[in-house]
Amino acid sequence: MDLEITPGEVHALLGENGAGKTTLMNVLVGLVRPDAGRLELYGVPFDLSRWSPAAAVRAGIRMVHQRSALVPAMTVPENLGFGDPRGGPWFRPRRAREAAQALARRYELEVPLDRPVDALSPGQRQRAEILRALDRGANVLILDEPTAVLTPSEADALFASLRRLRDAGRAVVFISHKLAEVERIADRVSVLRAGRCVASRPARGLGAAELGRLMLGAAAVPGAGPVAEHPPAPRGNLPGPPRLELRGLSAAGPDEASRLCGIDLAVGQGEIVGVVGIDGNGQRELEEVLAGVRRPTQGEIRVGGAPVAVAPRPLRRAGVAHLSGDRDSAGLVPGMSLAENFALKGSYDDRRFFRRGRFDRAAARRAVAQALRRFSIVPDDPDFDCAALSGGNAQKLAVARELDGDPPVLVAANPTRGLDVASARFVHELLRERAAAGAAVLLISSDLDEALAVASRLVAIVRGSLHPVPPGSDRGAIGSLLLGAPA
Amino acid sequence: MSEALLEATLRLAAPLLLAALGELWVERAGVVNIGIEGTMLFGAFVGFAVAVATGSAPAGVAAAGLAGTCVGGLFASFAVLRGADQIVVGTAVNLLALGATALASRALWAGAPPTAPRIAPVFDAAGADLPLLGAALLRQTPFAWAGLALAVASGIALHATRAGLRLRAVGEAARAADAEGVPVARTRALAVLLGSALAGVAGSALSLSLSDTFSEGMTAGRGFIALAIVIFGRWRASGVLFASLFFGGATALQFRLQARGVGVPYPMFLMLPYLLTLAVLAVASGRARAPGDLGRPYRREAA
Amino acid sequence: MTRALASAVAGLVCVAAAIALLGYAPGPALRALVAGSLLGPAAWTATLLKTAPLLLTGLAVALCFRCGVWNIGAEGQLLAGALAATALATRGPVGAPAWLLGPAAILAGALGGALFGAAAGLLRSLRGVSEVISTILLNFVAIHCVALAVQGPLREVAGAYPQSDALPIAAQLPALGRVHAGVLLALGLALAVHWLLFHGSVGFRLRAVGLSPRAARFAGIAPERYGALALALGGALAGLAGACEVTGVTRRLYEGLSPGYGYTAIAVALLGRLHPLALIPSALFFGALEAGAGAMQREVGVPAEATKVVQAVVILLSTALSVGRAGSRRARAAEAAR
Repeated sequence: MDLEITPGEVHALLGENGAGKTTLMNVLVGLVRPDAGRLELYGVPFDLSRWSPAAAVRAGIRMVHQRSALVPAMTVPENLGFGDPRGGPWFRPRRAREAAQALARRYELEVPLDRPVDALSPGQRQRAEILRALDRGANVLILDEPTAVLTPSEADALFASLRRLRDAGRAVVFISHKLAEVERIADRVSVLRAGRCVASRPARGLGAAELGRLMLGAAAVPGAGPVAEHPPAPRGNLPGPPRLELRGLSAAGPDEASRLCGIDLAVGQGEIVGVVGIDGNGQRELEEVLAGVRRPTQGEIRVGGAPVAVAPRPLRRAGVAHLSGDRDSAGLVPGMSLAENFALKGSYDDRRFFRRGRFDRAAARRAVAQALRRFSIVPDDPDFDCAALSGGNAQKLAVARELDGDPPVLVAANPTRGLDVASARFVHELLRERAAAGAAVLLISSDLDEALAVASRLVAIVRGSLHPVPPGSDRGAIGSLLLGAPA
Repeated sequence: MSEALLEATLRLAAPLLLAALGELWVERAGVVNIGIEGTMLFGAFVGFAVAVATGSAPAGVAAAGLAGTCVGGLFASFAVLRGADQIVVGTAVNLLALGATALASRALWAGAPPTAPRIAPVFDAAGADLPLLGAALLRQTPFAWAGLALAVASGIALHATRAGLRLRAVGEAARAADAEGVPVARTRALAVLLGSALAGVAGSALSLSLSDTFSEGMTAGRGFIALAIVIFGRWRASGVLFASLFFGGATALQFRLQARGVGVPYPMFLMLPYLLTLAVLAVASGRARAPGDLGRPYRREAA
Repeated sequence: MTRALASAVAGLVCVAAAIALLGYAPGPALRALVAGSLLGPAAWTATLLKTAPLLLTGLAVALCFRCGVWNIGAEGQLLAGALAATALATRGPVGAPAWLLGPAAILAGALGGALFGAAAGLLRSLRGVSEVISTILLNFVAIHCVALAVQGPLREVAGAYPQSDALPIAAQLPALGRVHAGVLLALGLALAVHWLLFHGSVGFRLRAVGLSPRAARFAGIAPERYGALALALGGALAGLAGACEVTGVTRRLYEGLSPGYGYTAIAVALLGRLHPLALIPSALFFGALEAGAGAMQREVGVPAEATKVVQAVVILLSTALSVGRAGSRRARAAEAAR
């Protein structure tokens, strides 16, 4: 990989999942030592064997992470203070606060300074991170998909800050897979593909089509992300009462924005309802309630007209399957075999595998073997340790498990996260199949393209409330809908 | 009478306080060292042995601190540098202490350890006409003084020095600290060494101050009580001080009641500290306040 | 396997070095050790008698570790079981027939141990108290409970020493050649625990909770409940060990009944990689060590505590060598619980 970063420039790095963006960034900040090649800082070659985060920091390279790398339990001034090599042995809270205040004012970054970081919103946290980077005298500021957690107005504020930094002579490296953003902010674009830098050009004059082509390496579809256009979504809504209903559902969340407030939603048979929104607006809480692991403070869930207790087993018995693309909530146990993971959710009720206090491993093996073949999961050994599965294959196993038994209700949260294009399309096909067969599908997705491609109807989740999206809205209209209160 | 009680409280609390402060540093750095019990035992033994051999109790205390540091080194190499499970390594340290000190003690004194020179109180009983607390304090050994001073120093160091801030960062979010260039493994190892040194000194308080000889297993769970003190004290120096005094006071009270011949069988008294600790933990268990990365070995890996 | 062997050998080497350092002659000491544990029927008797409680307590520890629960309290649970068995046998219905009293005493032991385990389990699931500390504290409580009992209500009628009456023959474990039926019980339970973990529904859920509490939660399995269950089951196993000791070996209850079986159990469990069947040879190894140490002390004068050094080294090496492979269950459990 060859790359050149110049000061006074916003340099965008574009590439889809797996292109090597994250690895490259980890190398730049010293977390990963490169195996071969040369690293030159300000024209001077650097000894690779001594490359480390401390060295990167000394060289003025700072990263602003997608998930904040600040210490959650400490305040912003404390976070600024602990890594500071200049400071003396004493830490004076008041003086630190004043210094932080001054810095924030100079770059017009609004950040609360008296609360611990875990009490800040994602936008505030990001600004705090930028503040810290600047405090250390960063010359190269690297931002990894920074707008993933921001509302559109926060994103605007961010871009303004970045332009100010550029004008002040810093180098800003901006990693993204969103073409629209790149067009807005970048001075120069480098495209990464399969671990190489395939192009590096000034941003002016580069069109979306050209960029898309460079990124995907094939005839790309303009304006689309990694998931290309699909055949029209199902019409949905077969006659009959709604299969899945949420009535007045409220639940607690870690902060203001993610608290669910009186959610009402009905999903009919044959419908795929897409819930879209910026991460951190209650999607995770909604998913957890539907999976039964988070108890709502108010409201109820009804399946087929009848209320169901909000707990994993009653929901499953009522026919609700839960599929998640997040490793955290995927419900796969590393250390157990593929067969055991396949049978996991039925340990109380599924008589195929659990009878009279006994676990019928042979039956589980047979059942999973079929699924492994059908979903092309590699390796197709029922006794293989789930921990050793690649992310994509693990996801497919989860899909296979949840779709087993043709559940009448399917809750899918970011089901294609981490999957390559072909597998993602496969999963979307399955969702459509299920809907066509009469199931009610609720798709919670942070990828607007995915939702647009698959869902028959969209609903926006903003600060814990649902707002229907008028049919036929374009991306801009949806984007404004997703506008929440300022962070 | 209450002056005597106060004095006894401080005296009994001293080893607990020292050990708990040591563990406070360790846990604030993100490591759980249940081997503190074994470390105290090593300290009690080595302190005693050196004091007997040299005739100097202070030499014993110094040696105990050194021994504690060595045990800490053992713990750190396995649990911090190698990343092995901290609870398991701590258990091994405790077993090792029991076995090694018994072996050595019997080899040296064939089951009949002599008496050692004791650590005397700092001041004489001359301050008899001072108010309550003054007299109690003045009659304390250096252990109590050191404990009180260290409690104050720890509180300041953890929150008002850069080193303390860095240590806390390592304990709360090791990855974030690493990304800022704070050496996680080194910080944790140093914390373990410090904590173990304190535990060793605390152990010597047992054999050179609270009693005048060494007996096998004489720590009798004090190290574990120190662990509970850290939790009860909500991982703050002030809390640790208060909790240590609380336990010291409870033990002092227990002795008083025992001496009075209250009609309760002896083993019941012996049980009390442990039951009390359990009760305190049940009521005041503060999982939410523990340092964020407590107990998790840290390995630098790509995002 | 090689890792286990390496740990065991390293342990022996270390203790030999320690013995030599302290001025004893390592050669005769080790010879006494081997002779006392493996050479001759008397030696094998001693070994098997020590293996039984180690196997049972080792199972107790392994079962809990598999569920992500640190059971450091097998020692206290063992004593609680011994206490319960003695109480029933010596103060229970007089003249009860053997077929009733024997099993009843054993069951009482299991119950006593289970109670101690469950206490820690409930403190953990209801109050979030770390089971590491609570089980250790309960160990001390159990020691003093035994002291309380044998100095008081359970004290022998003759009143000379702080110990219980001799257990009535009816309550004692039947002999099996030179050993007692408890050895068979321990073996049988190892098989039973193996079955439970790998072929039983309950064991399936226990393992899931131990490997990923969060995933288990999504599957409708409550980690807190299963953690408490694991502690109760582990307590029962350790309690059984105590009951067997008191009904089959010592025939009466007194202070200092256990030379630390509950702590050695941790080494047994780790050397056997928490696998119930592998625990059998592991328990045999440590049983032989204990038996041999007794002989070593009698003949050469090296204190039996030397075995603790071996245990410590075995634990350290076993755990250091398994880092990164199966991974630390607790680390993953703690990670996933967030």
